[in-house]
Amino acid sequence: MSEEERKFLEVRGLEKSFGSGETKQDVLKGLDFTVGKGEFCVLLGPSGSGKSTLLNILGGIDSADSGEIFINGDRLSRMDEKSLTRYRRKHLGYVFQMYNLIPNLNVKENIETGAYLSDAPLDIDELLRTLGLYEHRHKLPNQLSGGQQQRVSIGRAIVKNPDILLCDEPTGALDYTTSKEILRLIEEVNQKYGNTVIMVTHNEAIKLMADHVIKLRDGKIRHDDLNSGKITAAELEW
Amino acid sequence: MQNEIKQGKRPKNPLNKRVWRDCIRDWKRYLMIFVMLVVTIGFVSGMYVANNSMMQSLENGAEKYNREDGHFELSSKADENLIAAIETGERADIVSVFRERAYKEAGPEIEKAVKDAVTEKVREQVGNAIREQVTAAVDEQLSAAEAMGMEITAEQRDSAINEALDAAMEENYENAVNEALEKAFDSDDYRNALNDAKDEAKKEIDKEIDEKYDELAERYELNEEADPVPVKLYELFYKENDEIIPDKSSSSGTVRVYSERRSVNMYDILDGSAPSDENEIIIDRMHADNAGIKTGDTIKVGSTSFTVSGLAAFSDYTTLYESNTDTMFDAISFDVAMTTDEGYRRISGNEHANYAFIYNNKPDGVNSEKVMSDNFLKALITQTAVSENKTEIKDYVPAYANHAITFAPDDMGSDKTMGGVLLYILTAVLAFIFAVTISSTLEKESSVIGTLRASGYTKGELLRYYMSAPLLVVIIASAVGNVLGYTAFKNVVVAMYRNSYSLPTYETLWTPDAFVRTTVVPFVLMLLINLIVISRTLRLSPLRFLRHDLKRTKRKKAVRLPKWKFFARFRIRVFFQNIPNYIMLFVGITFVMLLLSMAVGMPVTLSYYQDSIKDMMFAEDQVILISTEDDDGNTITTDTQGAERFSLYSLIHRSDIMDEEVTVYGIEKGSVYVSLPESYYSGSDAYTDVFVSQAFSEKYNVHTGDTITLSEKYEDREYEFNVYGINDYAAGITVFMSPDRFNKVFGKDDGYFTGYMSDTKIADIDEKYIAKELTSDDMLKVARQLDHSMGAYMTYFQFVCVIVAAIILYLLTKIIIEKNERAISMVKILGYNNKEIALLYMVTTAIVMLVTEIAAIFLGYAAMGVVWKIMLMKLGGWFAFVMTPDGFIKEFLLVFIAYLIITICDFIRIKRIPKVLALKNME
Repeated sequence: MSEEERKFLEVRGLEKSFGSGETKQDVLKGLDFTVGKGEFCVLLGPSGSGKSTLLNILGGIDSADSGEIFINGDRLSRMDEKSLTRYRRKHLGYVFQMYNLIPNLNVKENIETGAYLSDAPLDIDELLRTLGLYEHRHKLPNQLSGGQQQRVSIGRAIVKNPDILLCDEPTGALDYTTSKEILRLIEEVNQKYGNTVIMVTHNEAIKLMADHVIKLRDGKIRHDDLNSGKITAAELEW
Repeated sequence: MQNEIKQGKRPKNPLNKRVWRDCIRDWKRYLMIFVMLVVTIGFVSGMYVANNSMMQSLENGAEKYNREDGHFELSSKADENLIAAIETGERADIVSVFRERAYKEAGPEIEKAVKDAVTEKVREQVGNAIREQVTAAVDEQLSAAEAMGMEITAEQRDSAINEALDAAMEENYENAVNEALEKAFDSDDYRNALNDAKDEAKKEIDKEIDEKYDELAERYELNEEADPVPVKLYELFYKENDEIIPDKSSSSGTVRVYSERRSVNMYDILDGSAPSDENEIIIDRMHADNAGIKTGDTIKVGSTSFTVSGLAAFSDYTTLYESNTDTMFDAISFDVAMTTDEGYRRISGNEHANYAFIYNNKPDGVNSEKVMSDNFLKALITQTAVSENKTEIKDYVPAYANHAITFAPDDMGSDKTMGGVLLYILTAVLAFIFAVTISSTLEKESSVIGTLRASGYTKGELLRYYMSAPLLVVIIASAVGNVLGYTAFKNVVVAMYRNSYSLPTYETLWTPDAFVRTTVVPFVLMLLINLIVISRTLRLSPLRFLRHDLKRTKRKKAVRLPKWKFFARFRIRVFFQNIPNYIMLFVGITFVMLLLSMAVGMPVTLSYYQDSIKDMMFAEDQVILISTEDDDGNTITTDTQGAERFSLYSLIHRSDIMDEEVTVYGIEKGSVYVSLPESYYSGSDAYTDVFVSQAFSEKYNVHTGDTITLSEKYEDREYEFNVYGINDYAAGITVFMSPDRFNKVFGKDDGYFTGYMSDTKIADIDEKYIAKELTSDDMLKVARQLDHSMGAYMTYFQFVCVIVAAIILYLLTKIIIEKNERAISMVKILGYNNKEIALLYMVTTAIVMLVTEIAAIFLGYAAMGVVWKIMLMKLGGWFAFVMTPDGFIKEFLLVFIAYLIITICDFIRIKRIPKVLALKNME
């Protein structure tokens, strides 16, 4: 991995607080880290540690008070709203805990909402097979289980083949088995399409399948480790 | 690994597919809005198309039917010389003609007077000469006799002189006088005296004529330079008589029958054919409809029977105004007809010497038409004045001021404006309902929008998507509405106009104006309102959408409520949550109430006016006399109980909208019919002090102390009056003044009066002396015609209002329930039954609805007062907009019924909300 690839995502001195005066609450207290291209990075931490805020700032839907973010050389922190939207459109994919699917579009069409944003999207049918949804492609979201809906939301994020896939507690609303299926899918996508994956979770077990684990507590990075002995999602237990 | 990735094509925006699905998913809402738009756009488009087509047909009709540029009536038929003189359009030199005439008349009189004077003088001189001669001769003879010794007394002398004088006079006087006269008449003195006398007389004549001319010239602006207005005159004589339908053995009013029209003011036969013999007649189609007369029926004109061979629209009577000064047209009891020349001769009754004229050079606009008409009137006045014909002008009406010609197109024009305004208001209301609906959808789909924005969808893309459905609905509704406008609705509007006016056949025309106003304007309105509301929400960050935090103002704390019962506090919360919806509800219901005020109030007002007109009239019978003296020169009197004399004069109140006739009454002191205060009569106030009727005051916003200006009808003469007070007379635009003031203002002699008024029928005055009898029926023309033209539609209109109210309520309460679906589902899980839930969620709306209705009723009533005033400004007369308590209750109940129906729907909707909804994922 070249230096450029190693510093595919670079965060310097990132700070963020909410409120003002006496009610001011520092959420991120000067974060510095880098994430390499194609890495599966997990942001771990308890509730209120600032991991979701960090993910939102990385995703350009929230802004930092100070500090710099570079993604593939682009300085995110200097971008205006329009540029940020364009950036998200071209380079980022989002997966949330809630699937946020459009209720009156079927599975394939929901994925197409992602494909529409890219000039060179992935082949949707092939992606549907990868997601194990090909058989269900004509179904509406309310005809699917939670796990299947989350697959669709992953499909929607990945179909435009983004440089970075941001996942915010993607398994938070799912049971053990379904969660493992989703994790396997993210793993597969990461391997197959080579996207950098940044996943926020409070589930300690998931760190075992990651290339890179960043632990946050009280707005600070407590651990920033590369995982040399990672296991597959299928092997995870919790 | 990435080499194996298979790439696909960029799909079309899948959100586009969603637009249709949104419409289908929410078809009830979209259908309601669609139907409302289609009906409104269709009706307004139909109105524009019908208006445009008909107005074009009326405009073309002027040329097609060779419609007059005006007409005038003379007191008797004009001779060829007068017709030729009028047709030149040149003003007669009144001064020269009158002078010449006066000189001519004065010449022999002067000569006779001079001759008489000379003769008298000559006779005196000759008599004196003979007397002197006779006296001298007698004295000579008596002196001779005395010299001869005769004694002669003085008596004998006188007797001798007288004797001799008688003899001499008898023998010589006449000859001597004639001789002397011959000489005298041949003398220069006589000629000089005659010339002097003529010069003196001419001076007197010139002075008198100049004075009179100056007065006329000032009144008619005769001294102003003007080009001649050559015209072609057409005899358009008519007779008026009662129209009787033998089958119904009743009179359907007055019919004005013309002889066959061959070249001017032609007609369009809408049914049947033109009269072919003396027994056939064609009558106005509108009146025929009203009176129930059909082609083939028999009618009587006076005592003469005719078969109706056809129904027609006469180009000079698109609106049946009996007289141009009438307050309202009257297609119910006034008819226009035409028969053959032979048929015309069969009809009894006075013939009116009416002449139509057409300018040789057509004016190129309204202003130029006015100038031409004024100039032609001067030519007409002067030529008639100098004519040997001894005729007078009884009436002069240029086409541009002829209500029978202009009222229908003017009314159609203002209907278009009114229809347009209603369409825009309704579109705006619907656009706001759409916007509120979409706002609620944005709230509901907040996470999806957040995800899409986070994924890179721009605000513009989402804005376009959320705007698509309303715009699509308005475009399709416009298309369907316009198609209906050109077909079904056009016919509805045409039928409405045909119910009031006598319109010729027309051709449906493509009307770009209709397209612009019914398609482009609603589209733009919908676009703007939705654009503002949606883009305001979409301006929020993706994160706020993801967090369902769409409130623009951050709510710091929940509003603290007093310690009321739980249900009350819950309802207050529901109210706070739905304030935008309730504002829309208020706007929508107020709009409906305005329409309903008209739909309910108009029939109420008309019937109130018709019922109370007798009470409103200050005297039930008013007789206007042709002359106040009978054939023997005695003042006409009446023994009718309570009869009072009054004076009457007609003036015009001029305004931009219309010139309205004002009746000026001279009222005797102590009148029991019109009570004017004692102080008004006894005070030394200015002679221009007057009272105006309440109707005058209300219509023209005139108050005590104001100055009003009224004008003569056909003269450029204005009167200024000071309003001394307001009289409570509400049935007419009237001015009251004391008789002495009246006489002074209008130059009448003391003791002048015009007629008698009494509450008892005045029956003892010979009809031949009566010019007009004013009864309550005359005052009802406006109310009756309005009732006929619009009354029947008002009932339908009431139902339309109820439907519009129901749709608005449906759309808004649907939003409120949808917003709370999950909460409702949750309280169901908690164990509340449907009735309790309904009490929680629906009572708030019921209370808001109640308050809104009451406020909207009064707002609608106030607004209708203004609309009514604008409406009546175009019509003659005045009666205030009245709403009885019954009317208010009816309005309230009509909307409340709509609300109840929607409440039932809402209750069913609440019942159908499943309990599991609360347990499902948000999306």
